[in-house]
Amino acid sequence: MIISTNLREATRSLMTSKQRTLLALIGIVIGIGSVIGMVSIGSIVQHQALKQFKEMGIDIISIRKETAPGDLEGLPLDHILNLKSVPIIREVAPYLLSSTTLQQGKSQTVMSMMGVTGAFFDINKLYIKEGRAISGMDNNRYFCVIGADIGALLRNSGVDPVLGSSLTLGSRNYMIVGVLERVSEGSGIRPYGINKGVIVPLSTARRNFDRPDIDTLLARVREGTPPAVIKQTVRTYFMSTMPGTHITVQTAEEIIATMQSQMRLFTLLLGAIGSISLIVGGIGVMNVMLISVAERRKEIGIRRALGALQSDIQSQFIIESVSLCSIGGIIGIILGVFVSYVFSRANHWDFQVSAVSIILGLAVAFAVGVFFGFYPARSAAKLDPITALRS
Amino acid sequence: MLALENIIKKYTIGPTELTALKGISLEIKEGELVSVIGPSGCGKSTLMNILGLLDQPTSGTYRISGRQVGYGDDRVLSTLRNQQIGFIFQMYYLLPRLNAIENVTLPLIYRKAGRPAARQQALEYLKKVDMESRAYHRPDELSGGQQQRVSIARALVGRPAILLADEPTGALDTRTGQEIMNLFKLLNEQEGITIVIITHDPKIAAQCQRSIQLLDGQIYE
Repeated sequence: MIISTNLREATRSLMTSKQRTLLALIGIVIGIGSVIGMVSIGSIVQHQALKQFKEMGIDIISIRKETAPGDLEGLPLDHILNLKSVPIIREVAPYLLSSTTLQQGKSQTVMSMMGVTGAFFDINKLYIKEGRAISGMDNNRYFCVIGADIGALLRNSGVDPVLGSSLTLGSRNYMIVGVLERVSEGSGIRPYGINKGVIVPLSTARRNFDRPDIDTLLARVREGTPPAVIKQTVRTYFMSTMPGTHITVQTAEEIIATMQSQMRLFTLLLGAIGSISLIVGGIGVMNVMLISVAERRKEIGIRRALGALQSDIQSQFIIESVSLCSIGGIIGIILGVFVSYVFSRANHWDFQVSAVSIILGLAVAFAVGVFFGFYPARSAAKLDPITALRS
Repeated sequence: MLALENIIKKYTIGPTELTALKGISLEIKEGELVSVIGPSGCGKSTLMNILGLLDQPTSGTYRISGRQVGYGDDRVLSTLRNQQIGFIFQMYYLLPRLNAIENVTLPLIYRKAGRPAARQQALEYLKKVDMESRAYHRPDELSGGQQQRVSIARALVGRPAILLADEPTGALDTRTGQEIMNLFKLLNEQEGITIVIITHDPKIAAQCQRSIQLLDGQIYE
């Protein structure tokens, strides 16, 4: 009863001083909006990265030779390919990554170029939309498979059919033999730049790239092999023929773990920024509430004369401040969700609204209302009835 | 019903001490219509505040229905104000954002009454003061006399032991003031409501059964 009455009066009181209410709201809207935006962008990013692992499986590892000063030599190709003979290794995909320039008439587009073997497509779960993948038969040929975005780019500039037409990359012409489906990209194990790049045979790349040495490879291991065993085995394999080489092995599990801890840090940091804006917003609310109390001293006196308890007055003002913050919270949630929608749209990521972030937003708005409304409400309740009545 | 015994009220304003009430003893019986009259500065308002439990005397005892008032607990004082005392002010003091019926409901809301019952009762009392037709008007849509009637309904709605009216006709013209006085007399005669009217107007005081003269913080009856 008293709560519903207070709620009604709070709305009325907030409506009477619209301008002030609006100004106080802005702080809360920005605060809650940024917290919600950050939390949901964080979860979208994480979801996106995990999706990549779901697609690729977690039995993928990445192996990299660390180059040191005076030791710029890569790993010998036959040695890399021979890794497959180790029992726990099922597939090996060495690759070279560089960038190239696509010539279209007078315009130039810089894009990534990868030299790969057939296994690369399988390990990275790259699906062919048109044509075929690079295979072992394409050694030293000027063939290429293009990423989804490049396919779209060519089509838009009038190249049709895309398959079989030739691309001028750097100083050479390559024939397009395949177009890839779009893949999800992000901080996973899959090399970045597939959608916006071209893939050529490894042997061709080694002839044309400035540095033909292979430092990195992906491999698929037997499922269920413990990470420690994988690392030990791979290191021993390379060290036995190339003593002194420093090999880094990253398992999918490790990458996920690192990613998650990075995400936690990221969320924490953004949460801290959001909290600061909430504190600022909360102080704004407190200010508005203090003004409201000062303006309504007489009203408080009248209510006290009619028998309102201190707690009645206190709850009246707390409800008013909570209503104020809740309105701000709701607008903030809408804003935050909208921002994360735009953000994920711009990155071609799957958009999702997490229920947690909405509940969190409402809870935070409520808490800010109670916390920053408490002092003004308390001072209203503590007013001496006569002083209040005479003011 | 109400009994004051040797009430003294002192104020300290800066270095000077001011005695507003210098040992007031008085008794108001059930069903009385009493006026307290005196010039401004005689301590009328202080007396009213003490009778209305808005202020605490420096010394002396105050009994309501035989029970001595303790000033320690705000909760107890608020409950007493809510249940025993109905205030009527010179400037009506209706809450501007609430309409007439909502204003009248307030004392019942602070008694945690249910809304439909409270509304029902408020309407009944608005009828009693002849303001039923204005139940959904806000104070700024009512004349002074009408506002005072609403405030009388608000004071009566909780069935208090006593009505305390502080210069109830002070802001009204003579005719409207007289109408309000007639209403007080009617409520007193027909319903036996105890009323204390504080005024500086001898014509108002003359219409009451008993008049208490207050001068310089003391009673001359």
